[in-house]
Amino acid sequence: MRVLLVEDSTELVALLKKGLAQGGFSADAVRTAADAAHALATMRYAAMVLDRGLPDEDGLTLLRDMRRRGDSTPVLVLTARDGVTDRVAGLRDGADDYMAKPFAMEELLARLQALLRRSDNLLGRRLTFGNVALDTESRQVIIGGTVRAFPARETAVLEILLRRSGNVAPKRLFEDHLFGLSGDVGSNAVEVYIHRLRKMLADSGAAVKIHTVRGVGYLMSEEKEKAG
Amino acid sequence: MNRFRSILSRVVALHVAAIAVISIVMPLALYWLLNEAANGLHRDALRGQAVTISGFLKPLADGVVLDIPPEMEPLYAGSYGLYSYAVLDQAGNVLFSSRNDGSALFPPKETRAGDWQMRRRSTGSVLFGVSVARIVDGRSYLIQVAQDLSHRDVIIDDIVASFFPSVAWITFPLLFALLLIDIMIFRRALKPVTEASTTAAAIGPTSTEVRLPEAAMPTEIVPLVHAVNQALDRLERGFRAQRDFTGDMAHELRTPLTIIRARVDSLEPGPLRDELRKDLESMTHIVNQVLDIAELESFIVAGDARADLQAVCAEAVAFMAPVAVAQSRNIALAGAEEPVWVLGHSEALFRAVRNLIENAIRHAPAGGSVEVEVLADGTVRVLDDGPGVPDAERETIFRRFWRRDRTKAESRGLGLAIVARVAETHDGSVTVENRPTGGAAFTLHLRPAAGLTAAN
Repeated sequence: MRVLLVEDSTELVALLKKGLAQGGFSADAVRTAADAAHALATMRYAAMVLDRGLPDEDGLTLLRDMRRRGDSTPVLVLTARDGVTDRVAGLRDGADDYMAKPFAMEELLARLQALLRRSDNLLGRRLTFGNVALDTESRQVIIGGTVRAFPARETAVLEILLRRSGNVAPKRLFEDHLFGLSGDVGSNAVEVYIHRLRKMLADSGAAVKIHTVRGVGYLMSEEKEKAG
Repeated sequence: MNRFRSILSRVVALHVAAIAVISIVMPLALYWLLNEAANGLHRDALRGQAVTISGFLKPLADGVVLDIPPEMEPLYAGSYGLYSYAVLDQAGNVLFSSRNDGSALFPPKETRAGDWQMRRRSTGSVLFGVSVARIVDGRSYLIQVAQDLSHRDVIIDDIVASFFPSVAWITFPLLFALLLIDIMIFRRALKPVTEASTTAAAIGPTSTEVRLPEAAMPTEIVPLVHAVNQALDRLERGFRAQRDFTGDMAHELRTPLTIIRARVDSLEPGPLRDELRKDLESMTHIVNQVLDIAELESFIVAGDARADLQAVCAEAVAFMAPVAVAQSRNIALAGAEEPVWVLGHSEALFRAVRNLIENAIRHAPAGGSVEVEVLADGTVRVLDDGPGVPDAERETIFRRFWRRDRTKAESRGLGLAIVARVAETHDGSVTVENRPTGGAAFTLHLRPAAGLTAAN
């Protein structure tokens, strides 16, 4: 998987390339927005990791130009500027995701993978979290290497949680996915499916836990002691 | 002077006062002038009569004779005549008189040539006249001509008498019209100032480049406008310098941290790497807070900024939930489920709520819970079940780097100072109290945006 890394600090580029390589990405690195535009014109990349603070222009200007040209390459923006007035601006300008420096290498890889999964299923059809995996095509749930048969709705709930791995999935998202626009959703309908899924996961020896964030949604976390 | 704050009301007030004075003084002055003019005409007429009569004095052997043409006789005829006359010689003897008893009009001894005299007659009316000297055939004569003031020339008297009711009233509508014209002129003259005020009102932290137009300004106001524009120039430079500084500082501090972080991440897994990561995370946290507080120092909420407090809190709770879960705390959002619109900047409010949640997570016991409650009146309450805040510290904990115990290294850091600063920039407030059931309750009050449907 080839990604374009646009970052002007040579030291950081070397470290990021190494980290990306460990995550299964090979990265072409350029230092300026002009070089990046040139690279994008000659080569097709699965994704781009773009620093905002480039020597020739703001990374967001490059991003805007790209989007205007109709280039839909997924872009993960990195920035040292994460001020009160900065954060929203980056996302509005067509970035697919946004990370403030400094960041953990693991998180960069996770976000990049999420980005690719979202765009073209480039990373295949398997969603993994802890010892739980889901094949999005065959709808098979694999826990600790064993294939389990979960009902469709419970599987859908699990998919949403896996796609948001580590972050809160809003309750609204479950309602929309499970019941579409069919309207009337019982106030505790989602809670019922979550409850069932919890039980199934526990019975299957999954090392994950579903937390209720009352008023907001649900969050899946790894259970360290079981996983270890 | 407070009652007349606007220039227009001052002009109107002063104008009304001026009208009051003028409408008393001007008719009086005009009346006096008219009277003077009438009197002058009257005197001229009397003197003219005296000269005319003196022209009728014809020399005669050892004296004079008064030869009045018959057509003029009625003018002097008895009590119906307009004028009465008497001709005196040097000794004061009356030679001729229009009066029936042939007496002088004014006592001869008091009469000198050119004198104006007045005498009250037995009938009560006043006789007013003049004496004119005339030399005929080498001898001097004194001609007295007078008129009863009650029979004065009718036309002149009427004009004077009717001046007030029929002429003087025009003063008031004229002055009033002048006032209206003045108001119009002033409105027109002040139009550029009003427009400049509208422009000035639109100047905010997001539009510091706007300047007031100097071209259309009245000359008197140009220096003020110019001074304001210069002040705006300085302010803009200040804003830009502050923004550049916090931006540069962020870059300077975060780039090395990113490099260190990447190096640490590339180390072999082990306790050393975990320790370094923890140190880096707390260092990063402090750097982020310092940058936030530096940016908030010059941060101003745009006047038209609106934020959905419910959405902001939902985002903050979702953002902090992984942290809470990792530290075995429960977190929940309660209260309003519909949007709660407040005057404010979403991202700044997000950081305030996030810091309150961070603080609550830190103080709640393991297994404890943090609850964020949004109220429809634009209030957020963040509740924890930790030890609470002692009464004496309810103010101080919002200070920067405040420490409960100066001898201990751990401080509350900048989190609550950021919350207090965000509250301040939003014209709101943040307070803390202890819950009856134990634990602290932080309350962030914001100003609701009434009747609002759209957001920023």
